[in-house]
Amino acid sequence: MSRSHGVPMSVSPLWSRLFASNKVAATLETSAPTAPGARVELSELYKDFQEGDINRRVLNGINLQFEPGEFVVLLGHSGSGKSTLLNLISGIDRPSSGTIRINDLAITELDEKSRTLFRRDRIGFVFQFFNLIPTLTVLENVTLPQELAGKSPAVARQSALNLLNQVGLGDRLDTYPDKLSGGQQQRVAIARALAHDPQVILADEPTGNLDEETGARVLELLLNLIRTTGKTLIMATHNPDIARHADRVLRVQDGYLIPVIVHSDLAEEVVA
Amino acid sequence: MTVVVSNAPLWRLAWQRLRQRPLQYLLCILGIALGVAMMVSIDLANGSAQRAFSLSTDAITGRATHRIEAIAPTGISETVYSDLHRATPAIPLAPIVEGYVLVDELGAQPMRLVGVDVLAESPFRNYFGAEGETLDAASVQLLTNPQAIVLAQDVAVQYGVALGDRLHLDIAGQHRTVTVVALVQTDDTLNRRALSTLLFADIATAQEVLGQVGRLSYIDAITHAPTEVDAIRAALPSGLKLETAEAQKNAVQQMTAAFELNLTALSLLALVVGMFLIYNTVTFSVVQRRPLFGILRCIGATQGQLFALILGEAALFSVIGSLLGVGLGIVLGRSIVGLITQTINDFYFVVSVQQVTLSNATIAKGLIIGVAAALFASALPALEAMSTTPTLTLQRSTLEGKVQKLLPLLTVAWVAFSLAGVALLRWSGGGLVAAFAGLFAVLLGAALLVPPAISLLMQMLAPLGYRLFGVVGRLAPRDILRSLSRTSVAIAALMVTVSVIVGVSVMIGSFRGTVVQWLDQTLQADIYVSPPTTTASRVFGKLDPQVVDALKHWEGLRLAVSYNDADVHVIDFDRDAKLISADGDVSQGKRPYAWIRPGLEPDPWKALDAGEGVIISEALIRRENLPALPATITLETPVGDRAFPVLAIFYDYSSDRGTIIVDDDVYVNFWQDDRIATLGLFMQPDVDLDATVEAIRSQFQGRQDLLVQWAHPEVGGVRGGLARIEEDTKKGHPVGAPQSIRF
Repeated sequence: MSRSHGVPMSVSPLWSRLFASNKVAATLETSAPTAPGARVELSELYKDFQEGDINRRVLNGINLQFEPGEFVVLLGHSGSGKSTLLNLISGIDRPSSGTIRINDLAITELDEKSRTLFRRDRIGFVFQFFNLIPTLTVLENVTLPQELAGKSPAVARQSALNLLNQVGLGDRLDTYPDKLSGGQQQRVAIARALAHDPQVILADEPTGNLDEETGARVLELLLNLIRTTGKTLIMATHNPDIARHADRVLRVQDGYLIPVIVHSDLAEEVVA
Repeated sequence: MTVVVSNAPLWRLAWQRLRQRPLQYLLCILGIALGVAMMVSIDLANGSAQRAFSLSTDAITGRATHRIEAIAPTGISETVYSDLHRATPAIPLAPIVEGYVLVDELGAQPMRLVGVDVLAESPFRNYFGAEGETLDAASVQLLTNPQAIVLAQDVAVQYGVALGDRLHLDIAGQHRTVTVVALVQTDDTLNRRALSTLLFADIATAQEVLGQVGRLSYIDAITHAPTEVDAIRAALPSGLKLETAEAQKNAVQQMTAAFELNLTALSLLALVVGMFLIYNTVTFSVVQRRPLFGILRCIGATQGQLFALILGEAALFSVIGSLLGVGLGIVLGRSIVGLITQTINDFYFVVSVQQVTLSNATIAKGLIIGVAAALFASALPALEAMSTTPTLTLQRSTLEGKVQKLLPLLTVAWVAFSLAGVALLRWSGGGLVAAFAGLFAVLLGAALLVPPAISLLMQMLAPLGYRLFGVVGRLAPRDILRSLSRTSVAIAALMVTVSVIVGVSVMIGSFRGTVVQWLDQTLQADIYVSPPTTTASRVFGKLDPQVVDALKHWEGLRLAVSYNDADVHVIDFDRDAKLISADGDVSQGKRPYAWIRPGLEPDPWKALDAGEGVIISEALIRRENLPALPATITLETPVGDRAFPVLAIFYDYSSDRGTIIVDDDVYVNFWQDDRIATLGLFMQPDVDLDATVEAIRSQFQGRQDLLVQWAHPEVGGVRGGLARIEEDTKKGHPVGAPQSIRF
């Protein structure tokens, strides 16, 4: 099938990616957040991967909207495209075509540096494997994104302390990640994701590497923090149990997002 | 939202990593330091020797604009000076006699003894009072005391010499005693340094001391207009030439250019090996940190920040490495300055380095090249790390996939570099620069081939390993294959290092073998006699004629072969070369030839003896990259330019400038120099060589110290000189051969 995929992706030269112009600042300035959560709109979103000679389409023209403060769960089997969708929304990967708007700012039209800066300020990421920096202490891991954003160490430290106290790790500030359990590490990762007060939290299998009990506690903690702050949460998971807490559930299947309802017996019903 | 970018946390991360892995960074710093140290030390030693020579030449040249020189090595008759003075009374002229002497009391270093006419000096040099002033006390002493010399105050202080002290001079084995009558001093640092290698005497004293009575080395002139130059030229008798002072300096630079290039290329090779170390270390640290970079990218670090971080780290340790390298280079330079000075003395000109000169340019060059090399080596892994999307950066397989895709391209690059390298190496007109460029291209090409070659080898080894050791046997090859991005760089670095070591060792070994074989073939006389000298392949003194006469009539002598040498200007190539005159073949026909004129085989020496032409060295031809062998060679002689038929081309390892052998009768006829520098004595078979050597040494004691060498390997002598060759070749210098090599 041959078709045009919406807005063409502009490839910036390496140099301009290194030293982005003032235009970036201006663009990001005009889209300063006005609410705790953000509206995320996907239009005609396609993503293809080239595997040798084979072109594999993972997302097939997605049109969707996530509302501010909404908690959406993405279900799907491994390789279905859940993580890919999160990567596209966060701007760490680029779609083959289509547009992603966050609060009316088309991040797919931003250059690499602008996307990075946008992600730094508006997006919080929670990974399945925590991805904490092993050479930094718990406190330093949480302050790092804030300091990258230019916050003073004192301000970053205060904000990090508050969050670490909320996730129950106020007594482990100087501990290195390898001395923490999986659940504790994920709690640090949640604190890091929230530390810079983002509008959108993207969580990729946040409980996938934890035992059931720990996973439940981490999920509860995350949801509490999100619900109290009104941020938009998009979570990819295998676990249909989590779907029961969500405002909306979408199954990623064959490149499409299918709205479903998950019943208490975990049976799924496709929403018409 | 404010767009603020802060790099401070990234630098803290880098600092933490540095503290956790200091050895990794130390290796990198060491790589840069060694490369820079090699460059700086060679630059320093070379520059110091050049500077010392140039300063002492400048000090002697003074304000002279031109120099009148004799084409014959015997110098200028002093009557020419008075004739010229009469012909051009308005032009300032100053006669100079100079030669090298060893002064026991001044550390037995070669010093330039400069004989001046103090009455003519003031327009040229102001060591003896400024122009227009009355003669100072030193000048009066020089004029009135026939044994008077003047030396620099600093040298006198350094060696504890006081006014009135007597100094013992050794002039090519002959001894003279002189008295210090004055000490010259100058406020100018450069002049002070220049004066540290000079001794001044009245011209008559210098003539007597140096054995040049009635002769001048040259005449300095100061001209202000082309008409004055023409006037001097018109008044010059034949056999003399007028050259600018600038041309003298250029000739010296030209002489040593190839030698310097050789040393520079070797130091660059060290830097290339250092660059591999840097590249390897930086790549390793980048590959190790790919997951970290992925996380940082996800949480908001920009590509530019990561690029700046990696390059910043490289810049930091390259600055540290370069600074260490400069320091190490200065220490090394001080220790090798003696070796380089010795080689320059052996081959080009006599120089005594009293002070190591560290120029800002040397430091700047070391720092800039060190930092630039490190940044260049770090830029590739830095670009690779930052140009990958954060999701992919989190996966090692992505990097390996990229390397795998590059393999065909790397193979093509290997072919291209190798072809270019071979073409450069085979380019006969390219000279040394092209040869080194070719060598570097081949080396780089081989390094580029490492990833494809390793990939192929590991794919072949994996099944073999499986057959021999089961699944375990597949582990190592597959692991290497899966981490090709790191292993191939490490293997390439090791390969380059080992190949350089092996290459240089093979080159030195083979060259040494060739030289030893060449000496075996060339030196057939039993005993060699020459004046003692501080250099290996050049002599500045001559044998006393009475010594020569006595030796030629020595009891038990079967044959004596005499030798003399001088510099000659080759008109065809517009440069100087070594001219050797000989009255017989010391190799007795065993000398190896690269080419002999058809009809003269196997021994062209008979034709040389008959004065039919000259035999030239292979080095003379090679240096000019001539497309074909020249039929004749035109030399400047005191009686005009003369073309000599080329009879043969011989192998010669004693001079990289090139050598021309002429028959002694031809030499005496054209160059009017009948002195003898070395004698090769062939003794009767029943003569006791030990006793003869001792007898020669004692016979002439007091008349002239002699260097008597003989050819029995178990006792040293001539072959003992081979130890010197080995030392020289080990140090990567051109060969410095025993005295007898001058044959």
